Amino acid sequence: MVILREGICPGINEEFIKALQSEDIKTGVDNDHQIATFEDFVSCNPEELAQKCSLSYKALVAVRRVLLAQYTAFPVSGADLYEELLSATAILSTGNPSLDKLLDSGLYTGEITELTGSPGSGKTQVCFSVAVNISHQLKQTVFYIDTKSGMCANRLLQMLQTKTPNMEEQMEALQKIKVFRVFDVFSLLACLQHLRSNDLQKASIGGGSVKALMVDSVSAVLSSMLGGKQNEGMSLLMQVAGELKMIAKDFNIAVLVTNHVTRDGNGHLKAGLGQSWSHVPRTRVLLQRVEDAETSSLRTATLTKSSRQACHLVEEFDLCHWSEEKRTSISGKRKLEERSKP
Amino acid sequence: MQRTVPSLPLAPSVKVKLINAGFQVASDLIDMRPLQLCKEAGISQEEAVEVLQMLRDDGQPHQQRAATESLTALDLLHQEQALGSIVTFCSALDDALGGGVPVGKTTEICGAPGVGKTQLCMQLAVDVQIPVCFGGLGGKALYIDTEGSFLVQRVVDMAEAVVQHCTLLAEDTEQRQALEELTVEKILSSLFLVRCHDYVELLAEVYLLPDFLSEHPEVRLVVIDSIAFPFRHDFEDLSQRTRLLNGLAQQLIQLATQHSLAVVLTNQMTTRVSNGQSKLVPALGESWGHAATQRLILHWEGLRRLASLYKSPSQMEATIQYQITLQGFRDAPDEPRPTPASSAVSCPSGNHSKRPRMEDLS
Repeated sequence: MVILREGICPGINEEFIKALQSEDIKTGVDNDHQIATFEDFVSCNPEELAQKCSLSYKALVAVRRVLLAQYTAFPVSGADLYEELLSATAILSTGNPSLDKLLDSGLYTGEITELTGSPGSGKTQVCFSVAVNISHQLKQTVFYIDTKSGMCANRLLQMLQTKTPNMEEQMEALQKIKVFRVFDVFSLLACLQHLRSNDLQKASIGGGSVKALMVDSVSAVLSSMLGGKQNEGMSLLMQVAGELKMIAKDFNIAVLVTNHVTRDGNGHLKAGLGQSWSHVPRTRVLLQRVEDAETSSLRTATLTKSSRQACHLVEEFDLCHWSEEKRTSISGKRKLEERSKP
Repeated sequence: MQRTVPSLPLAPSVKVKLINAGFQVASDLIDMRPLQLCKEAGISQEEAVEVLQMLRDDGQPHQQRAATESLTALDLLHQEQALGSIVTFCSALDDALGGGVPVGKTTEICGAPGVGKTQLCMQLAVDVQIPVCFGGLGGKALYIDTEGSFLVQRVVDMAEAVVQHCTLLAEDTEQRQALEELTVEKILSSLFLVRCHDYVELLAEVYLLPDFLSEHPEVRLVVIDSIAFPFRHDFEDLSQRTRLLNGLAQQLIQLATQHSLAVVLTNQMTTRVSNGQSKLVPALGESWGHAATQRLILHWEGLRRLASLYKSPSQMEATIQYQITLQGFRDAPDEPRPTPASSAVSCPSGNHSKRPRMEDLS
């Protein structure tokens, strides 16, 4: 909503606004009230307005055109878009071949990708691995918003140790992962808006070295606000979605979020946060445990929404993949074997 | 500060009025005087004062600042190493958890009745007080009991065992000095017990915890035994229950991070029927499973007690054996020793593997 004020565009001065507000006019939006906002002004008939407010018809039409031009968006040609896509889009590998295959070679910048799954299905581990991969392989800064204290730097170090034995490189990679810890939705919004207006702005001037933002998990802060009689939760959900989309698009950043799952009437798994959230992520991956497998770290990933690949593609992967390059015998015993070495 | 007005933690009705009056971002509001704001936006004077207080940093505790301050993962690594963890006196479980129950995280312990959830909680409440020079945390514990299952006699047993254990370990003068202060009375007096009878009392207690923790900064462990009991009864509206539980979980995680606490919750088991098969799963539903950072499931297999780490951001899934003795929660005896199983399966009904560690048992 934009309030008509003096000086928001040439031609609008004090008398003009006074004249507009002197009469109650029937507009398309509301019955019988004063013209105070841009929406009111645009939605009513200039001819009628000119008569009632005794303003010149010409001036009104001119002001209307200027105002509309001021708030309109500009068309971009497909060719330009394609050129931008080729030059600016990066595809960030998740560090796991089967996940990369599922996502058509990785996370795309400018898009929101979502991981869903039941507790212990490996969402956080995938986030860790993406963060480590980007900070180490690509030497880019990663923003990691942790809403449930799941961030474990020790595990990041463990993953890095399998990639490089060099201590300095490990420390350097760890410093490139910036962690924000927020525990409620208002702090999350504050954090996102702060990122948008400060850190990312600076980074994009300095060459744009931030390529990824992760929110683990977005459902933890939102689900306590949703449902029941109040509808504030819905509005907050859409605001979070809007902020994430804006960050992804405006700064060309790959956004990775995690979400929980619920069961529908038939006992099938479906992603949490309901219908309206399901339009937000561009790509959705459902992670599940493999039942009755010989190692407990085996997971399947199912593509449930995508604009590039066929849906319901299934890939299998092992969470231990990130712990060691060459797996010795059985993964479950790995830790013990490592420790019992003198 | 580029915050938009709809995203501010204000009452929805106030937000609508502010937006209608043309305020879009927080910086439009920050320079206003309360009287001016109440006139322009048509809100009451109290509301105007509240809005402005919220915007200025003093009205907002460190949340707002924390939200915009980032830590690098390297800082976090140092923090994690400094915080340490609480040993359980069962070396196999400590190994599976990466050194014990981690401080700064929430851990959920699920299990059938009688498997040893409360015993483990009481053991932790005693262990958190082991002095720093013995490798402990030297902290205090807060125990929120909702089931009425807290037994002070058992705590005395465990405290005696811990004092004796430390006496045997004491070598240098620093440790001997610390030992003089480590008595059963001392241990009991730094254990705070809160008895909550229903979920309203529990919620009230948890939301008042920040005050208690500021008064007692030495508290390193908060136990809620159990979270399931008050929430499994007298609830008709299940979606309300889910919402309350999610809010509670976020509050506990926030406390754990801000006050460097280990939060331990216990949960009951329930039966889920799927495909004609019944399976024991933790209670309180699927979405509650996301609440705690770590999830440990205690279960029986024949006469043996097993603990499975089901979910953890840092550790491999593992299943270990333990026993409960007069002295408390301990490693299982080596005999009978099964053949070293080939894999660790976390699912309670599946295979298990036991990984006795000989060197620690002596």
